[in-house]
Amino acid sequence: MPSSPARRSKRRSSSTQRKRGSSSEGLANNKSENSNRQEQPSNKKLKKDAKKEDASVDAKPQNLLTLFNKEAPIRSNTEMSVSNGKLQQNNQRDASSRSSFGNTQKSASKLVIRPLASAPAVSKDFPEQVWTNYLRPAVRAIQNATKVSFSYEELYRKVEDICLLKLGSLIFEKLQEEVEQHVVKQINSLQGYAHDAETFLYGVNKVWEDHCNQMKLVRSIFLFLDRSFVLHNAPVRSIWDMGLKVFRKYLQQNTEVERKTIQSVIALITAERNGENIPQDLVKEMIRMFLALEIYGESFEKAFLDASNEYYKNEGNVLLQQYDIYTYLKHVENRLSEEVNRVVLYLDRSTKAPLIQLVENCLLESHTVEILEKGFDSMMDENRQEDLARLYRLLARVHQLDQLKKYLGAYTKNTGARIIHDPEKDNELVQLILDMKDKVDSIVSNCFDKNEAFQYTVKESFESFVNMRQNKPAELIAKYIDQILRTGNKGYTEEELEGTLDKVLQFFRFIHGKDVFEAFYKKDLAKRLLLGKSASLDLEKSMISKLKAECGAGFTSKLEGMFKDIDLSQDIMKAFYESVEWKQCGNEIDLSVVVLTSSYWPQNAHEEVKLSKDLLKLQNAFSRFYLNKYAGRKLTWNHSNSMCTIRANFPKGQKTISLSLYQTLVLLLFNDADALNLKEIQEGVGLGMKELKRTLQSLACGKIRVLKKEPMSREVENEDTFYFNKDFQDKRYRLKINQIQVKETPEENQQTTERVVQDRQYQIDAAIVRIMKTRKSLTHSQLMSELYEQLKFPYQPADLKKRIESLIDREYLERDADTPQLYRYLA
Amino acid sequence: MVLVKLEKAKLACHWTWNTKDETCGICQMPFDGCCPDCKIPGDDCPIVWGPCEHSFHLHCILKWLNSRQHCPLCRREWHFN
Repeated sequence: MPSSPARRSKRRSSSTQRKRGSSSEGLANNKSENSNRQEQPSNKKLKKDAKKEDASVDAKPQNLLTLFNKEAPIRSNTEMSVSNGKLQQNNQRDASSRSSFGNTQKSASKLVIRPLASAPAVSKDFPEQVWTNYLRPAVRAIQNATKVSFSYEELYRKVEDICLLKLGSLIFEKLQEEVEQHVVKQINSLQGYAHDAETFLYGVNKVWEDHCNQMKLVRSIFLFLDRSFVLHNAPVRSIWDMGLKVFRKYLQQNTEVERKTIQSVIALITAERNGENIPQDLVKEMIRMFLALEIYGESFEKAFLDASNEYYKNEGNVLLQQYDIYTYLKHVENRLSEEVNRVVLYLDRSTKAPLIQLVENCLLESHTVEILEKGFDSMMDENRQEDLARLYRLLARVHQLDQLKKYLGAYTKNTGARIIHDPEKDNELVQLILDMKDKVDSIVSNCFDKNEAFQYTVKESFESFVNMRQNKPAELIAKYIDQILRTGNKGYTEEELEGTLDKVLQFFRFIHGKDVFEAFYKKDLAKRLLLGKSASLDLEKSMISKLKAECGAGFTSKLEGMFKDIDLSQDIMKAFYESVEWKQCGNEIDLSVVVLTSSYWPQNAHEEVKLSKDLLKLQNAFSRFYLNKYAGRKLTWNHSNSMCTIRANFPKGQKTISLSLYQTLVLLLFNDADALNLKEIQEGVGLGMKELKRTLQSLACGKIRVLKKEPMSREVENEDTFYFNKDFQDKRYRLKINQIQVKETPEENQQTTERVVQDRQYQIDAAIVRIMKTRKSLTHSQLMSELYEQLKFPYQPADLKKRIESLIDREYLERDADTPQLYRYLA
Repeated sequence: MVLVKLEKAKLACHWTWNTKDETCGICQMPFDGCCPDCKIPGDDCPIVWGPCEHSFHLHCILKWLNSRQHCPLCRREWHFN
């Protein structure tokens, strides 16, 4: 039924026309129209059409219409024209219907539309009235949370009307005034409100929430104001913003309330920091209020940070005294995560950076030294990796790793120095240092993020403390390696031993006096090779190749030479067994000889000894054979490193015993005599008294006693008499009697050290001559500093002075005649 | 029956050059050491004798023999013994 809407609208339009014409308030939408609209809420297009028709039909209230157009841009002119076209049609239809109607009543009168006699005007006090009668009561009702006696729609329309009359500013001002009055009242009402922070904040929150709700409602009613007046007047804020502005203004004006609000929020947060439960939602609401009012940054955040600063400064000072460092650090870490949570839960994100920085600063940065001073050493001592990792994490945050590094270096150095300077710990020194290195390394890699700077510091510290004591550490390392290679695989696999050697080598790397190490290593290696004590030749060779990789071929060439000698000797022996000399001897004794190149091997003190007849014969036979083979050489027998195997016929069983040549010679004497005193033995063997006593001690006082001594004691005295031990018995068939001499004697040690010192003198001489040859003349201090760069071992300046003196004596150098500080090189 | 019978002996000895002089007449380095061109003494830097019983480092005398064929100490004709 296409005609029905048109007809209906026509009817309605005429009614509106009539009303507009007649009503003094002109535009007021009365209830009937309201209901009319409500009748057809869905058919909006229809409504629109109707309105348009409305407009075209009553062209009379021109002024209103144009106002309409201006105020509501939706209804553009083009639309108007189109709708005019439609309207025309409608008019035609109307006309036809009218005409069909008119067909029944032949005398049809013509409808004439005339402009109103006078343009409808709005009474001057119209907005005033609307405000006083409708809007103000409504606003007040909202503010007082009582029932609004008008429908919101109606109120909205009123506002719209006023806006269309371009009187928006008026009503906006009035509204603002009203809001201000209310807000002032509300905020002031808070003034005397509860003293308790939480209750007070609930009060504030209530006021704020109410304010927001009210403003929301007010805004809805005054929406048209927002959309017309506010939109077109740039500096004016929207109603909502106006509400916030007003609220802020009066909150700030009432400093007491503002201060108390902020203080209460801070008090709550502080309470939470102290471990109390607080209504976080409330705090969150308050923070949101601050943010909405834009007073978060200037008023709240500043005060909050100040309070936090105070709080944490105090806490740092107190807890550091109260807690041990581990607990303190744990606490700090908790605090940091708590504060981050706090930001997430209710603070603004912008606060995170300054807040965290503040906590770090108060709890860590300003106490870094104290924390490290109090806790670091014990953490290291107790190997508390978790705490150390925490310490590293925390100090990394505050960029204090340099401090940590310093303490690590100092700790390493001090602990190491303590170990190294304790002569009682010499025996286990290397093991202790290796353990310590392991520990520190594992801490650096597990807790300190494998930080390279830290690794370097550790290395540096080791180097410095290891060299605090001259020579001894190098010697002890050599001994330690000797122990490994000698006793060998006591429950260890080759890989494990290799691993240990690698570790020792790390330690060795720190040592400056590598020559001392070489000397002792060489001596020990010689013993291992000659006395057959080496656990594994493979292990020996791998150690040599490690040293070669570490110190270069020059360092190990002599050591390699020693292995070569051993190999070469085997070949020589093979040839010897084929020779006439060997066959002449009769093969009663199985002989093997190692011929050593003297410059490779450490020189032993020469001991005179009388060999038994058989042995002498063999030895001479070999000498003849060897010197025939290698002309131009001579042989020096080194009996202290000779080993023998004997068969001893004890009445209680036969034993095979391996022992040193000296021990053998002593025992052989007892073939011809039952009892011998010390003097007789010495005549028979020809050994030095000291060596002889040691030998006898090993035979008569050790674990395996093949000799009996009269009187019994642990030491060998000059008056002692010795017997062959006829009661000797042992479960084993093969026995081994260790020489006591195998242990290093103080003399040997002294010799090795002296040899090293001697070598160093040559090196110093060479370095001085080398430098002076290129520089021609140098002052003493210049020469010293150049020497410092060249010499690779630790030395005393006094030693250098001695060498310089010696070179001056030998006319390599001279002192300048005028300046005694100056040396000249003499070509 | 003998109480103690020696079954096996493992002896050690050093060899050195059997020279009259301590040092090489050419380089003045000890025979225990090596010539200035070598680093390691021993078989790698051998000593040689002439008919005059003078001895030198092999490397030293070879250099000398490049110019003359007599012993640098006594001027007797040189050939290796």
